[in-house]
Formats: sequence, C-alpha cells, structure tokens
Amino acid sequence: MKQPFLSFDTKSLIKEFGDFNAKFIKGVGALTEIEEIDVGTAPKELIYEEDKLKLYRYSRNDPSTCRTPVLIVYALVNRQYMLDLQPDRSMIRNMLDHGLDVFIIDWGYPSKVDMYLGLDDYVNGYIDNCVDVVRGVAQSERVNLMGICQGGTFSVMYAALNPDIVQNLITVVAPVDFSTNDGLLFNWSKYLNIDALVESYRVIPGDFMNGGFLMLMPFNLNIRKYVDMLDVIEDKEKLLNFLRMEKWIFDSPGQAGACIREFIKYCYQENRLAKGELTLGGQLVDLRNITMPLLNIYASADHLVPPAAIKPLNDLVGSQDKTLYEFKGGHIGVFVGSKSQKELAPAISKWLHDRDSAPEPEAKIAEESKSAGTETAPEEVQDIAPKKPSRRKA
Amino acid sequence: MEITQSYFETWLKAQEKLFDGFIENTKRTQQLFLSQKYPALSGDAGGFNNLYSAWSSAVLKSLAEAGSGSEAIKDNLTRMLGGSNAYMKLYEVWLPLMKAAQERSLNPDAYKDYIDPSKYKELIDKVFGFDSDATKLMLNQAVQFLELISGSGQQFTTPWIEASKASLEAFPQFMQGHPESFIKIFHSLFNAFDNTVGRVFHVPPVGKDREKFELILRCFDDLSVYAAKNTEYQHTIYITGLTAMDKVVERLAEKITSGEEIKQFDEFFDIWIDTSEQAYFKLFQTEEFAKLQGELLDTALNVKAHFFRVMEMYFSDLPLALRSEMDDLYKTVYDLKKTVKKLEKQLKEVSQ
Repeated sequence: MKQPFLSFDTKSLIKEFGDFNAKFIKGVGALTEIEEIDVGTAPKELIYEEDKLKLYRYSRNDPSTCRTPVLIVYALVNRQYMLDLQPDRSMIRNMLDHGLDVFIIDWGYPSKVDMYLGLDDYVNGYIDNCVDVVRGVAQSERVNLMGICQGGTFSVMYAALNPDIVQNLITVVAPVDFSTNDGLLFNWSKYLNIDALVESYRVIPGDFMNGGFLMLMPFNLNIRKYVDMLDVIEDKEKLLNFLRMEKWIFDSPGQAGACIREFIKYCYQENRLAKGELTLGGQLVDLRNITMPLLNIYASADHLVPPAAIKPLNDLVGSQDKTLYEFKGGHIGVFVGSKSQKELAPAISKWLHDRDSAPEPEAKIAEESKSAGTETAPEEVQDIAPKKPSRRKA
Repeated sequence: MEITQSYFETWLKAQEKLFDGFIENTKRTQQLFLSQKYPALSGDAGGFNNLYSAWSSAVLKSLAEAGSGSEAIKDNLTRMLGGSNAYMKLYEVWLPLMKAAQERSLNPDAYKDYIDPSKYKELIDKVFGFDSDATKLMLNQAVQFLELISGSGQQFTTPWIEASKASLEAFPQFMQGHPESFIKIFHSLFNAFDNTVGRVFHVPPVGKDREKFELILRCFDDLSVYAAKNTEYQHTIYITGLTAMDKVVERLAEKITSGEEIKQFDEFFDIWIDTSEQAYFKLFQTEEFAKLQGELLDTALNVKAHFFRVMEMYFSDLPLALRSEMDDLYKTVYDLKKTVKKLEKQLKEVSQ
C-alpha cells in the first residue's frame, strides 16, 4: 500500500460541518429578522430634477469653509449612495465635516424610453445643466468637479469642454487611457459586439453588467464571500454592513443603449479620449484644455480600473498644478474602507481648501492660460482649440 | 396577515424538518465516521445534501411566498444559499479523497480516481451560474415556438428538432469530450436538414411566406451555432477547473511533504478557492478567452435578434405595439425633448 499524503481528523471534521450548518441556520434566521437595509442617510435636499436625474445638495449645520461648491458625478453603472453607505463609512459626511458644500447627481434608473441618450446628452446635457444649477444655488461662478469611476471620465470630458467653469477637477478611480490590457474588463471589451448588444437590449440590464463584474473573481465573489459572511452573521451590525454593500453591488441601473455603445466603442475599443480624437456635440474633447488644478486618485490594487488606465491623465492634461494620488487598496475600498475615511476624504478636503484661497477667478484664468501654454506645446494647442474656450451653450 | 401567517407556517415546518433531519443525519454520519464507514457520495452524504437542498429550497419558497419584506434580503439569502451550496458541493467532491486518505490508499498520482467529474461539473456550474437544465428548457421552448408558428402541417422540422434534442441531452458528457466534435454534430445536423427538406426554401420566391420560413430556418441555424459555441465555452471553463484541481492536489501534497497537516475541510476550501481563482484569472486574461466570450455573446444575441424579427412578423396583425414601433416612438420622444430643452435654454438666456 502506498503511503497516503493526506490525513484528516474525522471528529474535527464532523464538528466543522456541524458548526457550518449551525451558522447557516442562524444566518437565515438573522437575515429574516432584518426589515430594512438603510443606505445614503446623510440629510440632503432635492434641488433639481430632469427626466430621471435628480440633483441633491447635502445639508450643512454651519456655513461651508470652502467658497466653491463640489459637484460629485458618479458612474452610471452603480448607485451614488456608495459615497454615503453608512454613517461611519461615508465620504460625503467626511467631506461635510471638513467644511465642503457638496452636491451629487443621482442618475436614476433608465428605461427603454432613454435608449437614445448618448454621451453628448450626459456630458453636455445633464452634467452641464447640473453645473448651472449648482452655480446658481451656491452663488458661485465655478464648481469643483469630482468624478467617480465612469463619472470621472465624464467629468474629464466636461472639464475639457468647459475649462472656465471648473475651478478644480478631482477624478477618483476614473479610466482615461483604455489602451491597457491590465484589467480583464479592458481585455474583454475589445471583443464585445456592442452594436449587437444594444440592438438586442436597447437598455443594457444591470444584471448583465453585474454578471461581467462577478466573472472577474468568480470563486471569491460567488462562494467565499458568503461562506465568510456566516462568521459574522450573528453580529447584527456587521451583518448590516455586509448587506449594505451587497445592496449597493446588486443595485445596478440599466445602461442607456446609445451611451454605453459610445462609451465602449469610443473609449474601450478605440481609446479616442486619450488619443484626442473624441468629439461630443460637434466639439473636440481636447484634454490639453484641462488647465485647472487636477487631483487624480487611483487605487493601487484596483481590479476594475487598473492604475495603467488612470495615471496617464496627468500627462495628457494642460494643468500645471496636478497631483497623482495613490490609495493603497482596491476600487471599492477607496470609498468605504476605514483607511479611506481616515485618509482620503480629509486629503481631498485639504487639497480643495489649499486651492480655495487662490486669487480671484479672473486673475487665475489669465495665469493658468499662460502657464498651460508654456507646458503643452503652445503651437499645437492653438491649432486645435482656443486656449481658453468660452463656455459652450446649446 | 394571512400571507404572513402562511409564511411562518411554511418556515416553521421547514425549520422543524431540517432540525429533525439534521440531528438524525449528524448522528448517523458520526456513527459511520467513528465506525470507519465513510459516507459515500450516493449514500449518506448524498442524503445529507439532499436534506440540505430540500431545506434551502423550502426556505426560499417560504420567503418567496411571503410576498413582502425586503427584496434585497431575499436576494441576499438566495446568494448566501448559492455560496453555501457550492461549499457543500465541494465537500461532496472532496469526500472520496478524504475517504481514501483515511484508508491510506491515496497518493497524488491516483487522486483523479477519486474525483467524480460529474460532481465537479456541478460545482463549476454553481460557480459560473451555468444551468444546463435551463439551457435545455430554453432551447426546447424556442424550438417548440418555431414549430408552432411554422404551422402544424410543416412536419419537416420534426427530424431536426429530434436530432437537436438528442444532442442537447448529451450535454453533461461534453466535459470529457472535445468541443470540435460537438460543433461538427450541430453543423452536420443543420447541413443535413438544409440539404434535404431545406431545399424547399431554395426554390424561387413564392410570396411573403417564404420570407417567414427563411427567417425560421435562420433561427434554427442560430440556435445550433449558439449551442455549439456554448459547448466550447463551457468546455473551456470545465477543463480549467480540472486543471486547477490538479494544482490543488499538488499544493496539498507539497504541504504534507513539508510536514504540515491538513486537518480541516476549510483549509482545503481555502486552497481550492485561491488556486481556482488564479487558474481562471490566467485563462480570462488570454486573448483567446476574450474572443471566445465575445463570440458566445454574439451567437446568443443573433438568436435573440432573429427571434424578435420572427415574433414581429407574426404579431404584426395583432392589436399590439411592436418593438420597432416603440423604437420609433422613443426616438420621437428623445428628439422632441432635446428640442424643447434647447428652446428652454435659449429662452432663459434671452430673458437674462
């Protein structure tokens, strides 16, 4: 008989399985006792609605210490309440505590009637209208634009088209250079027949998108996560933390057909934004027009948007004042990790406050124009677009 | 109120049944372990898992029947059950390995003798959400629908349908076969059909019906291409799973050789998860996989697109708004909204 290479303690195995099943039964009981999973509880006021979009302003108890309001543009693929998942994991509350006046766009849930909404409608339509409302409500000439993930890519497009309205640009885990193969989504998208997909669905279901995200780590996301959950299931607070995250992950709006088609084709497949070949509403989106201060944040272990897709932005813009910020963690940890709460939100607030004491807008425009021209091959810039394009109106 | 009461009754019964069965089963399993008679897959362990599955189904049913409560909770429970089921399924796969280890007859070279490929396939199905029954059902329904609309007198599709069903029933065997052979089966089926009965459609146009029949034929072809591509895709996934299992055993052997002891199933579980995740990540990174995945989606979308066209043709005389008509309507709404918004902005600017 050959020597065995494995040996097991049968008694401990029986106990192990007994424990597992006992935990599972308790888990089901604990789950059924929970009536509501509360998310996004920071007080806010609805200040604008357009189609399915809603624009909110978060309530403050005291006046803001930063003159320029912050408009947060979230991605279309998930819900914006990730930034305020629960009181002790809330980038929003953190920003409010640090004196910022915060506005956020809720894109809502597109239905088939929205199937023709394209990138131009989102960037030059919805975002532009929200910026106008924020400027009016906050009585500010400019806004600080903070774009998250895909919303960051949209914000980059907007800032390039409207550099005179964006005081500071903050991008958080936002892909700009899609030429990389570092992330699976980037690799897979190159073989995605997006025309057929949109033709088939009109509005791509959120579940379809989620299926792709789960495929990135199928064993951890489909099995281990739920087996591990059983270890904390008796602790109601920990269970609620888990459930809030689950709710966010699977609360995925559909994607308006025209927009996702353009986003996949122009960005993922043709990399037009980084190449300087993207046009929206008949205008070239030239990243060199981004001359305002830039804070570009990436997560070192991001499996959804790899650093290689984010970092090049700093080389593509015309800004003199540009900061590349590495967050040690993953895509989701940027928003809800304990390190994020302690480190990132305060850093963003400080970065904005540091730039809030800058000279008056008129003086700053002139200065930026000059410095941007010096850094980024002025002849080329002048050939393609005016140094300081005036605000484009429909 | 009645709904709540009914829910709790179902729930309590399920709980009672589980606990009774669980205690009984645990006792029996313990006795078997202690007397060195290990539960076999189709025996007592199977019984345990059957009980477990029956219970989890009852819980889900009671939640679904309740008709109230948070959807997010129900969804989460479903996912938790899915994860736990996979965990139990891994246990089923692993049990014979443990049995052999206890009998001191296991060695790394012979471990494959103890892995049941069909059980392992079920496990991988759970991870990736493959549902071969649902696939078969979907394809059968599609075929039935096409048969129905192509007319009761058109028995020419029957041989093809029968052949297609036979091929689909062979689905579980695919993991041990070669995808190319099955692709050939599907294509030869269609070609045989096309070269016999299909000749009817190669005659010169004889009216609008010809267009319909051609489209139906196209749907059959799409289905066969999709099934073939799906087979190739799932085959790739299963083979990677088996390769990962080889590595799991290698890692176990390394640990034991270096003096470590694997005492708990959870240790095996962790090694299996990590090793499998790495193996699939490596697969998913390849251009070949990205291409295959894209092609699979493409073939599925082709099926859907042609089905929609067939349905539009057959529903066009009914008092229903068709998809293409709704598309036109949505486009009109979109254009009008855009124009109104533009005019409103201009008005606002003028008034300022």
